[in-house]
Amino acid sequence: MYTSVGLSTEKDPNLAAKEAARIAVNNMRGERIDLAIAFSSIDLAYPILMKVLSASLGHVPIIGSSGAAIISNQGIHKHGLVVMLLSFSSGVYFNTAFVREIKAKTSLNAGRELGEKLLSGFKDIRRVISITFSDGLMDEGSNFINGLQERLGKSFPLAGASASDNMRFLKTYVYFNQDIFNDGAVGLILGGKLNFGLGIKHGWKPLGKPRTVTKAQGNVVYEIDGQPAVRIYEEYLDRNITQLRKELKRISILYPLGMYLTGEAEYLLRNILSIENNGSMRLQGNISEGSLIRLMIGTKESCLEATLQATQEAKVGLSSKLAVFETKKMNNFALVFDSISRYMLLRRDAERELEIIRKGLGENTPLIGLYTYGEQAPLMAVSYQGQAYFHNQTVAILAFGG
Amino acid sequence: MDNPKVISDIIITLLVIINILALAGLAIALFFKINKVTELQKITDKLNRSLEEMDGQAKLIVRTDMELNKTQEELDKKIAGLYALQSLSRSLSTTLEESQIFKRITNAHLEELGFEKACVFLWNERDNRFSIHLSLGYLEDEGYIIKSFVDSEQDKYLDLITREKTISSTSLQQNTQIDKQKLSHVFKINAFVISPILPKEEKKGLLFVGTENMDVAITAGDEELITILANQIGQAIENSRLFEKTWRAQQELEKKVEERTRELTSVLEEVKTISKRKTNFISSVSHELRTPLTSIKGYAAILLEEKLGHLPAAVKERLAKINLHSDELVRMVDGLLDIARIESGRVIMRMEGQDLREIIAKTSDLIMIQCKNKNIDLLTEIKGTLPPVVADRTQIERVFINLLGNAVKFTPEKGKVSIHAQIKDGMVQIDISDTGIGIPAESISLLFEEFYRVDNDVNQQVKGTGLGLSLVKHIIEAHKGKIWVESRLDKGSTFSFTLPVLK
Repeated sequence: MYTSVGLSTEKDPNLAAKEAARIAVNNMRGERIDLAIAFSSIDLAYPILMKVLSASLGHVPIIGSSGAAIISNQGIHKHGLVVMLLSFSSGVYFNTAFVREIKAKTSLNAGRELGEKLLSGFKDIRRVISITFSDGLMDEGSNFINGLQERLGKSFPLAGASASDNMRFLKTYVYFNQDIFNDGAVGLILGGKLNFGLGIKHGWKPLGKPRTVTKAQGNVVYEIDGQPAVRIYEEYLDRNITQLRKELKRISILYPLGMYLTGEAEYLLRNILSIENNGSMRLQGNISEGSLIRLMIGTKESCLEATLQATQEAKVGLSSKLAVFETKKMNNFALVFDSISRYMLLRRDAERELEIIRKGLGENTPLIGLYTYGEQAPLMAVSYQGQAYFHNQTVAILAFGG
Repeated sequence: MDNPKVISDIIITLLVIINILALAGLAIALFFKINKVTELQKITDKLNRSLEEMDGQAKLIVRTDMELNKTQEELDKKIAGLYALQSLSRSLSTTLEESQIFKRITNAHLEELGFEKACVFLWNERDNRFSIHLSLGYLEDEGYIIKSFVDSEQDKYLDLITREKTISSTSLQQNTQIDKQKLSHVFKINAFVISPILPKEEKKGLLFVGTENMDVAITAGDEELITILANQIGQAIENSRLFEKTWRAQQELEKKVEERTRELTSVLEEVKTISKRKTNFISSVSHELRTPLTSIKGYAAILLEEKLGHLPAAVKERLAKINLHSDELVRMVDGLLDIARIESGRVIMRMEGQDLREIIAKTSDLIMIQCKNKNIDLLTEIKGTLPPVVADRTQIERVFINLLGNAVKFTPEKGKVSIHAQIKDGMVQIDISDTGIGIPAESISLLFEEFYRVDNDVNQQVKGTGLGLSLVKHIIEAHKGKIWVESRLDKGSTFSFTLPVLK
């Protein structure tokens, strides 16, 4: 396997695509390009970006998405395009697919459709992992994962990122070959002789007394401890609904709800998307009735500690060697899906987080990533049998070797 | 007979007793149980209270944390803004061209300041309208719409410049001249700051920055930052104008100097041509004059010698005058020819090392008779040893004879004429001073011109060609020396000239 990365911070999508492609192709040193992964800031998300990128890379398969900021070995870029080119060793198989019009199809059906498309022609191959990028403003992201898992298998490793924009929550895009679109998702399935390690952590800590979800459906929580759900925020933050709505973005990121899952080291976090007049709250990800929940709080230190743990987990996973290689032409690379919440919390220390990841994986390991509106990854506890969940506020580090 | 009854009574009694005992036991057990429950209840209450208390503390923590985060966010924003402002300032202060000033302001700077859209309008007094100098975050057609909007309300915006006040979406009061809603719509923003750009002279203007972000509320700090930026821009515009002015003035000056030099050069060329023509003219005319003059003189001499017959006294007298005047004419023509020759370089100077003492001694001897006639003292004073000079002996002797002759001529009886010679600035300087009638100041500058004669009694009585000093000047200049005169009326004159030292 061989990888290379090209970065451009040009403001013009046409120039950015050309520059990033040129650098990445040069770094490939003539190796065959099998697949490209591309992330760009929202200001470059125009059809011309992918048209030019696809043409510049000789129309190889491309998947990717827009992000509030993009990540490369060189740092965090609020404006730019980063492209990773992959040349797989023999014995590695992959397939890419997309699904559009999720709203019309429902998240569940869209998940099923993407799963089916990914599996087509992949029947007799040892499947390793699937990676997806989806519209960050999709409702019921959990259902999308459920749909995917119905087709790919409940315990099949699944990692993904929700596309994001510049914190306006107006429009996010996913990239597939030479197209860009919203209200859709794209996926990649990898199989054969390939190793990977995944670490996902957030670092938020529970605060206050545990409460029980007494009425909930899908991603809407109606009542907590028999009272309107919003009461928990009114109480803790000493603000009424109007005030809460005004500061919702910040509140939701700094103090999400945490769902207790037996056997998991960390609570599963849920951001609040909106507060309804009846006091119910729409969450980014599902929540089930009877769940034990807490209000969560994060600090820069706990956040960075979690990053270190996630990096270690990814490394441990990678070294467990699912596949053995005879060839010496091995190369590691990594993808980082970092929640925009962490960027909001860490602010000027965001580069420190990237530094931890880079040091942990080895300075020279090529890595690209993006800031997301949600991360999808399996839970580690045995009782969940590696089933993927929709996460908020985490950093997901996906390291590959082979 | 009674026994069975007694027995049954006893049994009954016993059963009653047992029952009572059991009840009592139960009562005791119940009592203990109740006690335990009460105790557990107490513990639970205590735990609950602790939990509530802890929850209360949690609330406090969350609220404090929220405030801290907000403050930090505000602080981060300010720090980022200040950094951007600092780097912008540095970049602006090194700009000396107006067109470059606005190119230095980039989207990245703007973003650090918390905005993504910006425009700069400058008021053009000649056209009486605003012109747009910066448009960041807008498409071309959006720029036109904004421009025509500002044009349509230009009085309101001019008023902002006059009042020298920064306004923002937060500080702008409703019901003021500027319609916040309309402005927000046209500029496609949610929050904005407008600050006047005030260079000292013309072309004042407005800096507009804005953001679409619905969550942003402009703070006093934002207004301050943008005001500083507007001031920086104003300063940079002023600097660029000053620089341009200075630069232009210098360019103009250089152009003028060049023009004048060109003019002077052409005039000089003209003068040279004229002077050459004059020399040629004099030279040829003099030659033409000399031949007939010689004939006239020859014939006059023949007649005077009476070889052609006796002449009456009156005729002889007239012929003698013809002879005399012819001689004068010949001297004049010779003088003119000399000057013309020297000017045109046709006289070959035999430059050799000469001992000035010798020359002075010889020429002094020649002039001595005239001195004696007028009872004039002739003094020679030479300071130190004189090195030999580079000169043509014959020509330099003419210089001495001319100057000494003049000195004696214009010095009344019992006067004094002196010759000084000394080394000065690497040249030998000779001063010939007299105690004569002196030269009027207005004549000094014309003294060395050809045919110029100072208007005084001596000149009216004694005839001269007016060529002597001109010839002297030409000879000295041909020696790369200088000649000048200092004089006071009725006190005397000093003619000084320099000659190069033999190396």
